[in-house]
Amino acid sequence: MTISENEIIAYLKQELGEDLIEASRPRQRRVFVRLKLKALRKVVNAMKRQYQTLRFMTISVVDHGLDFEFLYHFHVDGAVVTLRTEKRKEDNTLESIVDVIPAANFIEREIAELFGIKLVNHPKPQYLILTKDWPDDKRPLRRPLEGELPKQARPVAEALISTSCVAPISAFMQKKREEAGLSKTPPFAFTDEKAMQEFHGIMKDTSLAKKAGFDWKKKRLRHK
Amino acid sequence: MVRYASFLGCQIPMRIPSIEIASKKVFEKIGLEAVDLLGYSCCPEPVISRLLDKTAWLAVSARNLALAEELGLDLMTLCNGCYETLVETNEVLKHEPEELHKINEVLKRYGKEYAGKVKVKHAVEVLYEDIGVDKIKQHVVKPQRIRVALHYGCHMYREPEGGDINRKPNMMKELTRVTGVEIVDYGIERLCCGYPSMQADEEFSLKQRLLLKLRRIKEAGVDAVVLSCPACQIQFEIGQIMLKQYGVQYRIPCINLMELMAISFGVPSKDLHLEFHKGPVVQLAQKMEAM
Repeated sequence: MTISENEIIAYLKQELGEDLIEASRPRQRRVFVRLKLKALRKVVNAMKRQYQTLRFMTISVVDHGLDFEFLYHFHVDGAVVTLRTEKRKEDNTLESIVDVIPAANFIEREIAELFGIKLVNHPKPQYLILTKDWPDDKRPLRRPLEGELPKQARPVAEALISTSCVAPISAFMQKKREEAGLSKTPPFAFTDEKAMQEFHGIMKDTSLAKKAGFDWKKKRLRHK
Repeated sequence: MVRYASFLGCQIPMRIPSIEIASKKVFEKIGLEAVDLLGYSCCPEPVISRLLDKTAWLAVSARNLALAEELGLDLMTLCNGCYETLVETNEVLKHEPEELHKINEVLKRYGKEYAGKVKVKHAVEVLYEDIGVDKIKQHVVKPQRIRVALHYGCHMYREPEGGDINRKPNMMKELTRVTGVEIVDYGIERLCCGYPSMQADEEFSLKQRLLLKLRRIKEAGVDAVVLSCPACQIQFEIGQIMLKQYGVQYRIPCINLMELMAISFGVPSKDLHLEFHKGPVVQLAQKMEAM
């Protein structure tokens, strides 16, 4: 009996637990599963254990500017199952699955060459297509580390997300305001901890900060 | 007394606080109480945030609207950009229940909720509709005998579908005329000053937008430009400085309507701290006071 798409999704949900971001079945015999990167090897191992007819198809990579998206395509009993996961480009490594799926050997090397990604734990991390003297900084399929915002708009977005205000106030301006008889700052969110928590909460719950490439730890954009 | 929650935005208090000072003086004279909106954030600005993520744009704006709703007041803003964001998001939230529900799901996580009860008005509308030209005229003790060009700013033309886009610009024109100035038409009032395009192409913004306006304004032989939008104000003032790199020299004073009104109400210009401007507005005010 054919394994249904819903059965595949149910199994992957069970194996991934909180590492599953979303699963969908856009059409017959097609399954997409978005997952956290850390769970990739775990779920590939689980699929190999569960499905005797599992066939590795290929890996696609999309360079989104700030992040790489890796799509691992498998064939399970007539259905194509794609595992989608993302990684920040600053990390620039890809952990090999060749020890679990030997057929991934060549495509991982191809990805490494064309996108300039460093392979981790690959048995033979050598060039496959490009010449040995190919410059490291000119990979054919790699885009610059850039988000959706044009360069001139980045300071505005960074100021908005980090301070809740597109025109951050300087110490000089605070002094000038006081000299002019005004309060040091207007009653902006950044003057109130609770208001700032609300504002940052909204930023985190929506996708503006992600699309702008904001790094919450460093409190600035990932690219200038 | 007419009461509104006051939405100052970012540019006025952080870059040109003389507009904040002038508005306080004007509001006090005409009996308009502007209540501080504690904990407000950027409206958020209507270009980048809306294009990047409409949900964030709506949610941040809804939070600001909810702050006014908590005070039980309608919202007044002095900034054209803030006006555009707040009016347009308010329209969506008031007329699209699904969007309102979705946004409130976000706000509720932080103890906020917007019921859609707030009305948003530009200060020009408040002065014209709630106070009235005749009442404002009574406070003009020093009519200004200068010639001015008006720059209304693109967002001033925003109206609901089918509305008269010249409604608020005409209000601004009448309010400016009350101060005694002569308004000189220069033909391209509606052309954008170039501020939003500065974020994409500086040379285009300066040479294909601001410079075209400055040329016509200079030819019109005016003493100053009167504006209501702080972003346009920054573009006109900083833009004139930046144009020097292209061998173009202009030094036209650009004054905000609130500042012009305060001076015509007899407020000494030194009390307005016009030195916050990047153009010769202090000199303009001295000239006006010497007349």
